[in-house]
Amino acid sequence: MEITHSHIVLDACCILNFCASGYLIEILESIPAQVVVTKIVRERELLTLQRLRDESSESEDVSQFEIAIEKGLLSVTDFNSEIEEETFVNYVFELGDDGESATGAIAFHRNWAIATDDKKAISFFERESPHLQILSTLAIVKNWSEQEKLSYDTLRSVLSAIRTRGRYMPHRNHPLLRWWKDVMR
Amino acid sequence: MATNILDNIDLRQLGGLLQQARKKSGMTQADAAKVIDAARTTIVAIEKGERRLKSKELIKLARAYGRAVSDFVRSTPVTEPFEVQFRAAYQRNEQEEARITPTIRHFEELCRNYLELEKIMDAPLPRNYPQEYDVTNMPIEAAAESIAIAERQRLGLGDGPVHMLRDILEHSVGIRVFYLSMLAKYSEIYSYDDQLGGCMAINLGHHEERRRWSMAHGYLHFLAHRRKPVIDFEGQYKRIPESERLAEAFPKYFLMPTSSLLSRFNDMHRTHGKFTPTNLFTLAHYYGVSVEALGYRLEEMKLIPSGTLDRLRDRGLKVRKVQKELGLEEIDQRADTLPTHYQHLAIEALDQGLITEGRFAEFLGVDRLEARRIAESLFEYSSGMFDESAYLDLRQA
Repeated sequence: MEITHSHIVLDACCILNFCASGYLIEILESIPAQVVVTKIVRERELLTLQRLRDESSESEDVSQFEIAIEKGLLSVTDFNSEIEEETFVNYVFELGDDGESATGAIAFHRNWAIATDDKKAISFFERESPHLQILSTLAIVKNWSEQEKLSYDTLRSVLSAIRTRGRYMPHRNHPLLRWWKDVMR
Repeated sequence: MATNILDNIDLRQLGGLLQQARKKSGMTQADAAKVIDAARTTIVAIEKGERRLKSKELIKLARAYGRAVSDFVRSTPVTEPFEVQFRAAYQRNEQEEARITPTIRHFEELCRNYLELEKIMDAPLPRNYPQEYDVTNMPIEAAAESIAIAERQRLGLGDGPVHMLRDILEHSVGIRVFYLSMLAKYSEIYSYDDQLGGCMAINLGHHEERRRWSMAHGYLHFLAHRRKPVIDFEGQYKRIPESERLAEAFPKYFLMPTSSLLSRFNDMHRTHGKFTPTNLFTLAHYYGVSVEALGYRLEEMKLIPSGTLDRLRDRGLKVRKVQKELGLEEIDQRADTLPTHYQHLAIEALDQGLITEGRFAEFLGVDRLEARRIAESLFEYSSGMFDESAYLDLRQA
């Protein structure tokens, strides 16, 4: 997996999935770009991540997200110009979603890649920012598994955790659906 | 995307929403002014829709009020504010107003969400609305019974029990029915707007028998006083108005039609040689009404002596305990907060990539994780399958 941008902005779907996997730190370490999350996503999704923790029996999962920020593996960013703020508000009008809009507006103006699984956000960003690379949870997990030469069993347990704890399954048109099905079989 | 949406947005609407959010957050106009480094008069002008906002200011205010920017700039349908509609209904009592206002706002938000989903999916809720019944100068009981008979006939309900009343009102009539948490004394809120049509919020905390009664009560308001918003709660009136007396009388005829009730009563009486408390419980369960509602109805019909219920109560009758002992299961019901059509529109919109996952979660009023769980169960509920066959059109060509 090549990332043609210096940074990649993760949206809430991907963060939730990576946290659910139990391997957020390892996955972030495998991404060949500085990984960023917007202030809005961090603030608005903290409660969801809290619930994920509450449902988790593994105490080491408890503060993956905060540890990743402390370690600098994940940096938190906010708007730094009026044009970013204006684009954000315009995107909110179209998407009806603050998190995706902040992710897209910041990526657009800073020429950063985006990681999202959200169908509406993907089609919107493809239209608005065709120059930006858009990656998915599965693309990033697949890259990590190949890079680390994960055993089949480990990979399967990671995808299962994302499936059961994160309640995520790829859409029927997802380009990596077949790969996911093969591993999960 | 070259244009700035804040240059084209309805400033009065935006100002109104900002004012509502500020008040809800407990901030004064002076507090809000500090947030954007402006004078208090600037906030006054913004809230009146007289001054255009910059994106930076909107973001700062939304954060200060603890709200999403999408709460202010989303292209939601414009409907008459419920607070305006209901002002007359509770203007007599400020305490009542303070208690019920959060529920009304929630109800209004859900109704608007519903309309927004219909617009996104281009799938309006089918309406099968009768003309408003004219009850002028009609005796109340006769009017209630005649409307009940006419509606049963119109909806093809025969004269048996009305099972799944909520589904009938939603799917066969086109009324939006939400089950919302409210204080116990409130039973139902009814509203009508040309865009939204008939809308009802029923107290989620009540037993299903009572919720069904409240729905029938609200339905009469829709049938006979369509444009009059109603908040129904105990001890509301010193002198009950005619419209309310009609709404109170209607459920007994609609849920327990005279002909059917008489026939069931006679059958039971013939079989057992008497009509026992067990029969009373069984019959109430059959019609999906409370034992009290059935008892008073039978007393009115002079099928049991008046005061029977009071005597049973004096003997220490415990309704729920007896129902359990008799093996009378809870009434088949759907106690979701949201109507099924609403839920299916939301899942379809998500599936077709017309709304984001975050927005889907907001439509359902849950967090992202719960939203994913619901999405999964709704897919299963809709189709029982996950693959492409779930999207086939099964109609005959």
